[in-house]
Amino acid sequence: MPRVVSFARLAFFGAASATGLWICWVGAGGEVSRKNPDSSRTQTAGQGSKREILQLPTVERSTASQPLTGLTSDTHLDMTPPRQTTGLDLVKLGWTYNCMECHKLLAAKWHYERPMVEHRSVRLEHGNNRFCLNCHHPVNRNAFVDYDGSEIPEPEVVLLCAKCHGTTYRDWNAGVHGRRNGHWNVSTGPQTQLRCIQCHDPHQPKFQAMKPLAPLRYPRRAPKPPPAVTPSHHGTAKS
Amino acid sequence: MTNPPANDGKPKTTENAAQPRSRRTFLKATAASMAGAAGLAAALKPLLALERGELTIEALLQKHYKRLTPEDLERILRKLEAACEKEYGVRASVRDIKPMAGAQYAYALNLSRCIGCRKCAHACLKENNQSRDSEDDIEMSYIRLLELDQGAINLETADHYYNPEQVPRENKYYMPVQCHQCRESPCTKVCPVQATWQEPDGVVVVDYNWCIGCRYCMAACPYDARRFNFQKPRISPAAINPDQSYLSNRVRPKGVVEKCTFCLHRTRQGKYPACLEVCPTGARVFGNLLEPSSEINYVLRHKRVYILKEDVGTKPRFYYFFEK
Repeated sequence: MPRVVSFARLAFFGAASATGLWICWVGAGGEVSRKNPDSSRTQTAGQGSKREILQLPTVERSTASQPLTGLTSDTHLDMTPPRQTTGLDLVKLGWTYNCMECHKLLAAKWHYERPMVEHRSVRLEHGNNRFCLNCHHPVNRNAFVDYDGSEIPEPEVVLLCAKCHGTTYRDWNAGVHGRRNGHWNVSTGPQTQLRCIQCHDPHQPKFQAMKPLAPLRYPRRAPKPPPAVTPSHHGTAKS
Repeated sequence: MTNPPANDGKPKTTENAAQPRSRRTFLKATAASMAGAAGLAAALKPLLALERGELTIEALLQKHYKRLTPEDLERILRKLEAACEKEYGVRASVRDIKPMAGAQYAYALNLSRCIGCRKCAHACLKENNQSRDSEDDIEMSYIRLLELDQGAINLETADHYYNPEQVPRENKYYMPVQCHQCRESPCTKVCPVQATWQEPDGVVVVDYNWCIGCRYCMAACPYDARRFNFQKPRISPAAINPDQSYLSNRVRPKGVVEKCTFCLHRTRQGKYPACLEVCPTGARVFGNLLEPSSEINYVLRHKRVYILKEDVGTKPRFYYFFEK
């Protein structure tokens, strides 16, 4: 029975990847730029009905589960790590997060011009680090690769980043880079520490800009009073 | 000579000789006594609140925090819990947490990493029960976020009210300012009633029940770190943090000064302060100076730290540093 299931999965994966390829090919005929991986989806939706038929069903991706940050008693504080990752689409169809389910068939390559299926959103802008296999293990896709070719398991991703960012790793170990949550005094309670990839997208590690929270009203002594918010401005800000 | 005769026949008393009673002196004396009576009435006015039941004789005669016996303090804490439940409908736990032995707190902030998202200032409000419910109210967050032009630390042109679509902006940097918990704190020196003092772990605290609201400390503070309750704090019950302590985040009465205490109800129990817990960039570093392996000691040893307004000689426990 397990063999039948794995065969069914394989068949589905073949079909899915073929459709994906076709979409990429059709999209390349249009004005899809390689720089924006999301544009293929939006453009096909906006154009003729012929292409809409080809589109895979778009489903909301749920956020991926992350390790706990901080104390559970601090519900009033928003300790969400800055980088929110989404779950894989294929997981909804019965596939797991075991990367080898697909990748035992797909050979490792140093570089992909056009990442497919689950990896379409991957855009590698990591400075001089331009090759997949600089970090990903060529054989075991669930692991990362060390200098000597040995495996770094996924939970220890910090050691992977430390290969190049040694001084940052030293600061992180001292609790000065990144963020620790919970108890500063570990004898009184638990402490959590954010890992590299909870703030930085490893493919585009530059820290992302964000919308600031609303300005606060301070005592009048402050040099500039808050500008009066006109209704028209308010409307545009909301829309 | 048209002077009246020195002696008009009546025997002259000593009183008469010293102060001849004229219309002017009579009016003067009346005005003075009326002013005195008004002053006395004003001085006794709190007693009217006593009569109305707004103030108990116990609260009126409460001693300074440092002179309270443990039993008195316990009774006061329970009273504060009852008052919080009566006025805001929230069952809070008000504790008095003493300083930890062998702990001296300090804070460091990485200015290269702060992006000015204001999450710390908003988390401060959620943690410390500041008045903030109505539109005309000031939100008394203990943290002010300044947007400055790169190239100098010019506080004169700094902006509190920036609100772009995205931060950080080009050619700007951001500097959060809060209480520096100075070792040579000017605010505690000017207090006429010693309602504010420095604790053994370095945190400058206020006894809200002892503060008379003269605001001398606010004028003395070079970092604008203190806030005054011009009115009874207005907070919606859902927004009240029930984990409170006497010297830090319990709901304050009207007419007293309050300030950042490094969240002492958290830090004295070994937790990080609220502003650090929410910082998305990890720009904030908090720790125990007396513990050699602490984060703050690592910063002080390895990074070049900067002290805001070092020239005023306050010796703060709050350091800024620049480092990517």
